[in-house]
Amino acid sequence: MNILVLLAGVADNRYPLHPIAIGADGQIDESAQSRRILSPFDEGALELALKLRDKHSDYRLEVLVLGGSNSDNLLRSVAAFKPDRLRRLDLQPCCLWDAQLSSHQIAGLIRSEALQPDLLLIGREFGDLDEGGLPVMLASALSLPLFALTQYAQWQDGQLCLLRERGIRQQWYRPPGPVLATVTNDRRNKLRHPLMKNVMMAKKLGFDAVTAAADGSPLRLKALELARDVQRGGQCRMLAGDVGSQADAILAYIRDSGEVPA
Amino acid sequence: MTMQQRIIAVIPLAWGQEAAEQALAAARQVAHQQSLACAVLALGPAPAAWLTDMAGAAGAVELVYAVHAALSDGENLQALAEAAAQAVDQSGQQLLLLPPGSEGEELGARLAACLSATWLGRCARLDWKADGLEFERACWGGRLTLRLQIETSLAVACLRAGKLQQQPAHANVLEPLIIELGKSLPAMFEIEQSSSGQTLPPVESARIVVSGGRGVNEAGFALLEQLAMKLGGSLGGSLPAVDAGLLPVMRQVGVSGKFVSPDVYLAVGISGTPQHLAGISHDSRIVAINSDPAADIFKVANLGAVADWEQMLPALLERLPA
Repeated sequence: MNILVLLAGVADNRYPLHPIAIGADGQIDESAQSRRILSPFDEGALELALKLRDKHSDYRLEVLVLGGSNSDNLLRSVAAFKPDRLRRLDLQPCCLWDAQLSSHQIAGLIRSEALQPDLLLIGREFGDLDEGGLPVMLASALSLPLFALTQYAQWQDGQLCLLRERGIRQQWYRPPGPVLATVTNDRRNKLRHPLMKNVMMAKKLGFDAVTAAADGSPLRLKALELARDVQRGGQCRMLAGDVGSQADAILAYIRDSGEVPA
Repeated sequence: MTMQQRIIAVIPLAWGQEAAEQALAAARQVAHQQSLACAVLALGPAPAAWLTDMAGAAGAVELVYAVHAALSDGENLQALAEAAAQAVDQSGQQLLLLPPGSEGEELGARLAACLSATWLGRCARLDWKADGLEFERACWGGRLTLRLQIETSLAVACLRAGKLQQQPAHANVLEPLIIELGKSLPAMFEIEQSSSGQTLPPVESARIVVSGGRGVNEAGFALLEQLAMKLGGSLGGSLPAVDAGLLPVMRQVGVSGKFVSPDVYLAVGISGTPQHLAGISHDSRIVAINSDPAADIFKVANLGAVADWEQMLPALLERLPA
């Protein structure tokens, strides 16, 4: 079985955002100081792939990590998990705000390299500029069935089983053939810690790159600006007094909304 | 409505009235800016009187039911996408708007792929101007806003436009057109289902949401669940809380989770990141409990208490009827 994992990385939200602008060429111009890390969705996709390989060491795990700022560090962090093959994915141009263009770029690459994954795992959002459209359109471009928002994966009687929860139900899917699964964050797919010896080994590695070209022009960027402050009226009324009086005031406030049993 | 510009709310009937209202609200908002009218394309096994009434009251001028037995399953998104693609008349310029939320976004992207249309994604703002569609999306975890522009004849998008305002003065009595889809639609793949053990109602439709963040541990979430039950509400949480395994991802509130619009959002141990706040309606009143007086949540809350959840949650619970 071939498992292909696509990882994009996101800016680490524990730090202020690095300088980002729209360049003269109409593309996103990021400074090199970006602290790009795997997103919770990336981590979930990678962990599920590792879990599946744990049980079948003969199965092949290939990972493509999106190029761009800080990509070497990102590649090293993934290399420490020892995938069978790990390469940097350079999208030319890289326009992740355009799910259609980007998904066709990646699909074209997967086809031209005859990667033929039996299971393609990708986070439910691919990087900081995608809001979930890219994985859906990638499934369509590859003519693969899509199982969205996967939370867990395991082997059952030798067959792949994917799990997600919908409302009060959990759903198990046993794909009869190749499938693209988007992965969402879940306690069962928290990324494991790599072995220290593998971390050290990864520091010495160099990485191959593969380029996916675009056919067509992307959606035009007009502006990139700081998100507007959330306008909610604010004016927070801070409660004084001890916890008991604060609790009384909170329940009185909620009761005034008509939502609390008397 | 001119033949050149059509704004169409695409509504799967199986998703219910709230999803329909959200898609209609989005279509009305975009249409209103250009003094256009909006139309409705409903997908289901048969016409539904409630939607005919709702669409008319919202001022829609045209209602088409695309009917097929396979459309009774609201989870069969590929069937819904292919049905919508079959029913859309692609003449002129068209903007198709799906109900916002993760399912609407997935359906929208599938539909755009079926139609080879432009997928605009999860829009925070969307205007149809003389020189094309201009729209905004949150990016970098809600820290930046991206404004894009495109001239296209066929676009698909999700837009969150708040609550649907009925327009009694402009209500229309609609005579729906019914299209019986002849082509076969893909069957839903075989799925085994079992109970997830969840007892509280979905977070996205609750009138009161009790929510916890990384400042609350497992014992605290047990208290939050009790509080949600006593208040007749539901339980939510932030992404770090989900990552820590404190609650399931379907209860995650935020830019990558559910969008909630309760009357009151009780945020306990939540710092108030833009990513989390993006999942809470501007109409909701926020009550914040946090031990850190400098927490950003107090900048947007209506009522705040600087307190430890270990003391505050039992105090709230003991004041409510058993």
